[in-house]
Amino acid sequence: MMRFDFLCKIGFLFIWRSWRSTLALAIMVFSAVTALVFLSALAVGTNDAMIRNSVGLFSGHITAEDLSQNLGRDELNVDGVDGVLIREKRSIWLSHHDEMITAVLLGVNPSDERRHTALWKKTVRGRYLELGEPALYVSQAVATKLNVSVGDLVQIGFKPGSTVAEWVVCGIYQTGISYLDNGLAFCPMEVFPASNFGRSASVFLADGTDCDRILATYRELRSTSEFRAWTDFMPDLKQLIDLNFVSMGIVMVLVFGIVSIGISCAFVIFILKNLREHGIMKSMGILPLEAVLLLVTQVAVLTLGASIAGDVAGALAVSGFARIGIDLTAFTSHNQYFVVSGIIYPRLTFYSLFWPPVLAMVFGLLAAVWPSVFVIRKKAADILRAI
Amino acid sequence: MIEIFGISKTYVSGRGKMTALENISFTVARGKLFVIAGKSGSGKTTLLNCIGGLEKPDCGRIACAGTDLSTLSAAGVSHFQRKHVGFVFQFGNLISFLTVNENLSFPLELNGISGSARERRVQELLDSIGLSNIGEALPHELSGGETQRVAFARAIAHSPSILLVDEPTASLDTINGRQLIHLMHQLTSDQGCTLVVATHDPEVIEMAADRLHLKDGRKEEIK
Repeated sequence: MMRFDFLCKIGFLFIWRSWRSTLALAIMVFSAVTALVFLSALAVGTNDAMIRNSVGLFSGHITAEDLSQNLGRDELNVDGVDGVLIREKRSIWLSHHDEMITAVLLGVNPSDERRHTALWKKTVRGRYLELGEPALYVSQAVATKLNVSVGDLVQIGFKPGSTVAEWVVCGIYQTGISYLDNGLAFCPMEVFPASNFGRSASVFLADGTDCDRILATYRELRSTSEFRAWTDFMPDLKQLIDLNFVSMGIVMVLVFGIVSIGISCAFVIFILKNLREHGIMKSMGILPLEAVLLLVTQVAVLTLGASIAGDVAGALAVSGFARIGIDLTAFTSHNQYFVVSGIIYPRLTFYSLFWPPVLAMVFGLLAAVWPSVFVIRKKAADILRAI
Repeated sequence: MIEIFGISKTYVSGRGKMTALENISFTVARGKLFVIAGKSGSGKTTLLNCIGGLEKPDCGRIACAGTDLSTLSAAGVSHFQRKHVGFVFQFGNLISFLTVNENLSFPLELNGISGSARERRVQELLDSIGLSNIGEALPHELSGGETQRVAFARAIAHSPSILLVDEPTASLDTINGRQLIHLMHQLTSDQGCTLVVATHDPEVIEMAADRLHLKDGRKEEIK
């Protein structure tokens, strides 16, 4: 058996000294890998944007309901957590003149909310809450039912007919998301009319933090609180993201399936062009296995080189767009998962960097099967007679 | 030693059945020069290919260097070729993307000769054919005579027991052709290599004591 390093050297020289054909084939692999690295990074960026928009509007990545009194913000603020918002919650009656509705009043810290959530950006009239201000921030639906506008006074009570406070409406918002637009009212934590009634927390994670790891840490706190990840309270978004990954995987397989057919055809042409060399090598006693290894080496060297170059080019393109983002607001403005922003920031992951070259290699090697069979089956004498 | 017993070969093409060789038998002693003579299309190349294992005869038996080729598998024939056979083709047939050095290294690597032993042998071959300084040249940079000499050097690089040469002088002028034949004869007789030359060149035919004349695939005369 021929030494493997010599075989690799011959394979490399074959493609290096046939550089025009090599270049044409390499461009095909290079452009496919570059496009797929960028597309998969874009898919990851789209998923990021949907998660960011969905959890960043109000809920956070993890929510804790019925937060025990002994569990404070500091206990929840572990490594990987970007922010913890504590909220008080109570069911109340809101009335204005003859109109009366039930709602859930949420006591929030306005400055923290501004820092971590985007609900305040969805203000359609008036303004967001100020620290310690006895005022209400209500949804458009609540304002319509109560027939109030910005500046109107609203009575707050714990049962019909009772009044514990009378506050002015400082702002009205609309998100387009059902659970936020119906039956909610907000006030600053400092003026919340009932203490220790029901506390909840929203936890916002830093980019790239594993949600399951934080959940596991919280569950070790031995709290009676119920912690839930966004995947639990937004299963529709989780499915959409899974679907996005599956679609991307199918696109990759399809693209490389087509590219591999192209490479296979191009390789057969390349080998037909160089058939004489294979005939000469066969006449010198090269074994069928060595002939196959020689072809596989050529395909592998070419695909590997073009894939690495494609990976680098794709990564550069992604890093360029990761800074400025791709504004798709025009296509997402009516979509609930892009309620805050329609700007997509492509993000490289192991998945987006690793799979395109691996698929290119797998399909490239599959593309070598046909030419290999062709060379093995063709007799050296027939090849040499045809020269 | 080469022993051929009653081999025949027929091709089927669009023009019908064509007999390339019919009941050919002869024996070549070890270390001898043997010429297969005949006009173009007489079956010379087919006979060389059968001896070298590039083609299988339809019937008959070929034994080279003590091996009956008809009993070998495809891999066995490849092993036999890489160890025992050297081919020199009509137009040299050097591997176009390899330099002269790399072309000469190829049969050596196939036979497990590598590193400094391989480099020494390559230089020795280049010296023996008088082309010491062209090791880094690619085949397209060589003249016809140089190409044939390098092809010959490559064929004897691994010291085969049989050297099969197809029309070595066909693409050369008279002087170059004569020089090449003398070089071949000299180097192969030194090694005890059996040299079989297929040619229609009268000068080459006259050089051989043992020869076979073919006409339309049939033995016309054996001397």
